Order: sequence, then C-alpha cells, then structure tokens
Amino acid sequence: MALEVHTLAQTPITAHVFSPDRSQLAVSLNSNDVQIYSRQGQEWVPTETLSEHDKLITSIDWAPHSNRIVTASQDRNAYVWQEVQDPETGKLVWKPTLVLLRINRAATHVRWSPKEDKFAVASGARAIAICSFDEENNWWVSKLLKKPIRSTVLSVDWHPNNVLLAAGSADMRARVFSAYIKEVDERPAASVWGSKLPFNTICGEYTSPAGGWVHTVEFSPSGDVLAFASHDSSVNIVYPTGPVFNIRISSLPFVTLTWTAENSLVAAGHDCQPVVFSGSEAGWQSVGSLDDTTGVKAADGPRAGYGGNTSVGRLKTGAFATFRDADTRGKSSLSGAGSASADTKLLTVHQNTITSIRPYQGHPGQVSMVSTTGVDGKLVIWDVNAVAGGR
Amino acid sequence: MDTAFRKIDIDQYDEDVLHESELYDADPRDPAQVLEDAKQRQAAVRTALARSDVVGALSTILENAPYGPNVDQAKEITLHTLLTILNTTKSTEIPAVIKSLSQDSQDTLMKYLYKGMAMPGWGDISGSVLLGWHEKLTEIAGTGCIVRTMTDRRLV
Amino acid sequence: MSNVLRPYLAAVRSTLTAALTLENFSSQVVERHNKPEVEAGGSKEVLLNPLIISRNENERVLIEPSVNSIRLSIRIKQADEIERILCHKFTRFMMQRAESFIVLRRKPVQGYDISFLITNTHSETMLKHKIVDFIIQFMEEVDREISEMKLSLNARARTVAESYLTAFNA
Repeated sequence: MALEVHTLAQTPITAHVFSPDRSQLAVSLNSNDVQIYSRQGQEWVPTETLSEHDKLITSIDWAPHSNRIVTASQDRNAYVWQEVQDPETGKLVWKPTLVLLRINRAATHVRWSPKEDKFAVASGARAIAICSFDEENNWWVSKLLKKPIRSTVLSVDWHPNNVLLAAGSADMRARVFSAYIKEVDERPAASVWGSKLPFNTICGEYTSPAGGWVHTVEFSPSGDVLAFASHDSSVNIVYPTGPVFNIRISSLPFVTLTWTAENSLVAAGHDCQPVVFSGSEAGWQSVGSLDDTTGVKAADGPRAGYGGNTSVGRLKTGAFATFRDADTRGKSSLSGAGSASADTKLLTVHQNTITSIRPYQGHPGQVSMVSTTGVDGKLVIWDVNAVAGGR
Repeated sequence: MDTAFRKIDIDQYDEDVLHESELYDADPRDPAQVLEDAKQRQAAVRTALARSDVVGALSTILENAPYGPNVDQAKEITLHTLLTILNTTKSTEIPAVIKSLSQDSQDTLMKYLYKGMAMPGWGDISGSVLLGWHEKLTEIAGTGCIVRTMTDRRLV
Repeated sequence: MSNVLRPYLAAVRSTLTAALTLENFSSQVVERHNKPEVEAGGSKEVLLNPLIISRNENERVLIEPSVNSIRLSIRIKQADEIERILCHKFTRFMMQRAESFIVLRRKPVQGYDISFLITNTHSETMLKHKIVDFIIQFMEEVDREISEMKLSLNARARTVAESYLTAFNA
C-alpha cells in the first residue's frame, strides 16, 4: 500500500537516496546535478544542489554512519561529498572530492560498503572500480575488478562481510567477486561463498535460463543468498550451496529489487508496481503487488490498464477524439475533456518505469517500509506488509 | 593505390569482443542426434494427433526443441510438425490447450509463433492462424513471454 | 476497425509494449557518448532478437529492440501499381517532415516502407502506452488513407476523362 506519494518533478528520477535520519533526500533529476531535498512537514523542499559532474548522474549513495555522499555519472567520474564547515560563513556545505576511478566509460552504479571504508563503482568499461581511501596522499584510489566481465556492469551490491561484492552486467551474468583489499580489510571469515578470497576471486557466476541483462543484484540480509532480476522478466534467487530458483513473471521485466527480510524481497520495474516475493530454500513465489490496481479511485474516474488489457479497437480516444470533435463536429474541447483524460493515466501509482527501490524504515532483515522513485518523477513510500492482492 | 586495407574487419582482432556463441550455452547434443530426435518426435506427434491429443502433441514437440547453429534441418522439421498441430486445432480449444502447457513450453511456443510469422508463405503457414494463437498465448502467458522471446539467444 | 485487422494490431501492440522496456544506456564503445544501440550496432549483447509480425507477405512489421532504443518498421499493403505509387508518395511526404513526428526515422529499413526509432528519451518524456497507441493508430489509418486516396484518384481521373471526351462528343 502506498503510504506517501510525492511528485518531486516532471522529469525522470534516475536515482534516490535518503539521509540516515530520513530528513533529507538526494535525487538526480535526470540531469548533471544532485538535488538535495529537506523534509518540511508533509512537503519535500529543495535545499541544495551539488553540481560538479558534467554528464547525467546515474547513481547516488549516502553512507548512513559517516554521512558522506558518493555520486557516479556518465562523465566517467565519481565524487565523494563531505559536509564541512565553510571557514568564512561558518555554514555547513557539501565539499566534493574527485575519485581516481581509472575507467574510461560511464560509471553506472555506486554503493558504499557496509563498513563505509570502501565503495564500488560499476562501469561501462567492463570493470568495477573498488575505491578505498589513501591516508598518505589524502585521496580515494581505486583497484579494478576486470575479469571475466564482458560488458557494461549495471549494478553492484556488497555482502555484509565488507569483502564480497555481487555484480550484474549486460553480458547476462550475475557474479560474486571478492573485493578484498589488503590495506583496508581484515581477513574475512569463511562463508558459503568460499574461504580463501584474494582480490578478484570469482565465487559464483549465474545466469537466467532465458538470458537477459542482469539489471539488479542484491545479497540477502545474512549474505547467504543472492537475488537478481534480469531482462527476461524473471527473478532469480541463488543459494550458493543449494538450489537456484527462477521465477518467471507474466508482465514486463524488473529493474530493481531489495530484500525486506531473509525470506522476502520486493522487486519493481517496467510494470510500474512493486511486487513482493517470498520463500525459503524450499521454494519461492510471488505474493502479490503492493499497488492496489483493482480499486478505481472515484475522483479520477476510470483509468486505462496497461498492455494487453486495453481493447485494441478503441483507439479514437483521448487527445485524438478532442481534436477530431473540434475539427469535424465543431465541438469545443470542454465537453471532451472528461473522456480525454480517461485513458491517459495508468491504474498504478507510478505512471512510468520504477528505476530504484530502497529500504526506508527498519534495519536489514526487518524492513517495514520501502521507497521507490521512477521515470515519472514520483517518490512513493510503501508499507511492505500491506500486499494489495494477487496478480 | 591499394585500398583493400580499408575493408579489413578490424573488430575481429579486438580481444574483448563478445561473440554470438558466448551469449548462451550451446546445445550439448550432437546435430545428427538432434535431427534423429526431431524425426522421432514428428512420428510421435502424428500418433498423438490421430488420437486427437493436442496437448500431448504440443508438449512433445515443444520439449527440448532444437536451437543453435548446424541443426537447420531439425529446426525445419520441428516447425513443420508444429504448424500441422497449430493449423488443425479449433480456435475454441486454443485457450484450454495453452493453459495446460508448462511455462517452458509456452515460451518455446511463442518463439515458434514469431519464427513462423517471420517467414510468411513458407510451407503451410497461415498468418491468421498464427496471429490467433499469438493473441491467446499473450492473454494467458502475458507480455513477459514475449520479452523472453526477445532475450533468449537460443534461437529455434 | 475491421475484425480481420484486429489480431494483427493486437500482436503488434503486445510486442511493442514488451519491447518498450528501455533505459538510459551510455555507449560502451565510445566514451561519453550515448546513442541508440539499435542504430549503432556496436555491441551485440545489448541488442535483442528482432521479431517480425506478419499477416501475409505484403503486410508485416519488424521490431528490433535494444537496451535503449527500438526500431519499428512497417511494410504497408500495396495491392497494385497505383497503391504502390500512393504509398511511396505518402511515406516520402512524412519522412521529409520527420522531425515534426519525433519518433519517425528519415529513411525506412530495407524491405519496409516506413520506420520509427523510439529511444529511451521518448519513453521518458512521453507516456509509454500513448506511443504504442500512436503507432497502432498510424498503422490503422495508413491503410484507410491509401485506399481513400486511390478512390478519389480514380474519381478524379473519371471526371477528367469525361470532360475531356465531351469535347469530341459535340
């Protein structure tokens, strides 16, 4: 169920992240700038703009403990932003630090590691840059994970042990790497993914039976299970020592997902609604959508469904009908306005693809609310326990 | 002046290049065996159709369908056999038949429908029959089924 | 709309909906570029299998999907020489004004009469289901438009011939 719906802009939101206390929100409005909003009562008010990138910002992450923001952009760069006091005015300002990524294509996705001493930047250069802070030189340096990635990396996610990294890429594979950096990390304990883990060890490589780019990957809260969604409209759940589940859905592909508990996750994408999946090592299935598409909201009048539901025969609707009426019948658009708006809205809350979904309330393993943003410029907060019904 | 060098495909010397064959797992079976399989299935489908068991015939032909290179003849036989089934099924029976197929078979059926539509005039392909099946299949298996046809590199 | 055409347009509609699952994808061949992958064709793995929907040899639609763009090409029904000429003139007229149609391509793909190129920017700035509606409506209208033009052409030819021949009748 949608608890809150905010329309932040009329442009797509490419990425969103909340501040640790949820009072601030950083988004990229399909532009070169990061826009920071602050909560004032029920409203989100734009307060600050972070501009340093000169191409579209693809991903933002806000470290919850150290209060630092990292941004990745198609201009091949990443910046770490830190809140410092301006020496002259005494106000807190965000100060950027350039990261030496050493990649020569777009940076596509960025995530802080759980301990916040490293972050991973996925890129179109068929590589993932693992960045750590070099105290001596006072800058961020990177080490590249390259083999055996064959195409653009679309998403990354850290294992809770701060060493393992999952990556999904356009060569149709989801992989688990070791991103162990000697200077930063302690030797990790053995896990289900392996015991000896030098840098760039491949602990697993998975693909969906029908192929498709892997849009998103995420470890379960314990880190023992991996979920990924690929472009063949399926969600895959991998138990490294056990079965791999492939759930095919009948609607459009998912592009983002997040675990809410060890036995459930929420996925969303081109179908414009978040869908809950749950299960265990014995099996997984779709539980239902968080979006109630069945009830027609009285004020809005009837709205058209998406895809196959609309009858093919009825095309003379909406704007077309308005103009034709004005043209051939001399009717003004006022009378046609009711019918014109009828089929322009979708039944779902989001009116276009949902591009990012994140936990909003709760802690890993017990998330009670998630937030989504999409191409329609909306920010929606959902209660994950209120599944609106089967699909 | 010699200009032949302009026509050299330099991309083939790029070691990072991704080949078509790396995008999917190749069929482990031998081409000759695949052909043999296809012929056997053709016979099995005929007997099933004689008993008017459409569901049985369809699941037989759609299981382990040949894919990949070097099995063109097996693919042709399979398509031909499938078309016989599609053309003889009454349009009122189609939804029930599709519902009783497994998800894998539904995906494979969708691939064959598009393959059939891509070669109008071949054999006894009838556009309206294929479109009828396509409509019913989309109603039951959804747009996800079409997306899988697009992403799956195991071309039938 | 005629009942014969319905399954054909339904198939195009569902396939187009499935194909319009686009995202912003920066080129992995040229740095700092962002171009429609279906046109650039630089990386095979971001292209999907092209699909053809056909009623018969003369009426078909080709949909070539990729990660950030799709190309849709239509072969319009042409029964005789007059329809062929009309179709050529009609599509040429539109393609010369391609920028006003936004999603129209200036040149059709070989073997087809008219092509559309829809990119992720289009699906972000316009409602996705409305783009689908537009294409379907175009397909529906174009057949009718051409047969109407053919009728009026014939009627006009008849009038011209009649008035020309009356001169000899007197």
